[in-house]
Amino acid sequence: MFALIKKSPLTTIMWIILVVLTSFTFLIGWNELVSNSVVAILLVVTFVKGQLVSDYFMELKHTRKFWRLGPIIWLILILVLIGMTYYL
Amino acid sequence: MNEQKTVKIQNLPGDLAIWIFIYAELLVFGVFFMAYAITRRGNVELFNQSQLLLDQRAGFINTLVLITSSWMVVQGVHAIKQNYSKICVRWLDGAVLLGAVFLVIKIYEFYIKAEQGINLSTNAFYMFYLSLTFFHFMHVILGMIILLAVRMKASKGGYSNMDYRGVETGASYWHMVDLVWIVLFPLVYIIR
Repeated sequence: MFALIKKSPLTTIMWIILVVLTSFTFLIGWNELVSNSVVAILLVVTFVKGQLVSDYFMELKHTRKFWRLGPIIWLILILVLIGMTYYL
Repeated sequence: MNEQKTVKIQNLPGDLAIWIFIYAELLVFGVFFMAYAITRRGNVELFNQSQLLLDQRAGFINTLVLITSSWMVVQGVHAIKQNYSKICVRWLDGAVLLGAVFLVIKIYEFYIKAEQGINLSTNAFYMFYLSLTFFHFMHVILGMIILLAVRMKASKGGYSNMDYRGVETGASYWHMVDLVWIVLFPLVYIIR
């Protein structure tokens, strides 16, 4: 079962990155370090996490641009608009 | 000499219908997220105060649970692509089990809020918190049902390295559920 993971470790590396980024987000909140500038960092981290899921878990990285860009555009639109409600 | 691009364009994983469904779902959640952010803008103090009562640890653990569950589904897809049906079933079992863990933690959160006398009409923040997370909760249940259906067919040898589209279809939906939570967690639990 785990021999297959060794054969293609890329998605496991992405999972570890996702765990690290999630822990980073949690620790920022838990230690009450959220400020205006930190909000931008957290939104960027969320974008990176979303793109990792889209590219490597959903396996859209090497599909046609139309399909690959769907979740990426969704993430950018949502996160930019959320950012605007915090900064403007 | 120009290097030739060797990356092959791959087919969309799973059925086209599930992708149309996934994009429609993303659109709906996107509207929900925007409504939350815009409403918060007019009620910053109320949202910040109400958010303090949320258990960030529960949101954090649930994020790890969903990410790990998604990773297990990826392993299940890899296994069936190499014709390992039984291994695929075990990974899917793990993913569904983690889905159940997510539900238990979320039910506990809902229970605590109910104990505190918090409901949809308490204030705007809780209206969004409860409806958004419950809407997502229902998607987790649907995702688990889809994964269980895929798992049942896989356990009967219904998929192989020549025919694994059904596994990819279920996996894609489950990853969408994960993707939505990845945005929901910082938006509702952390950012203030």
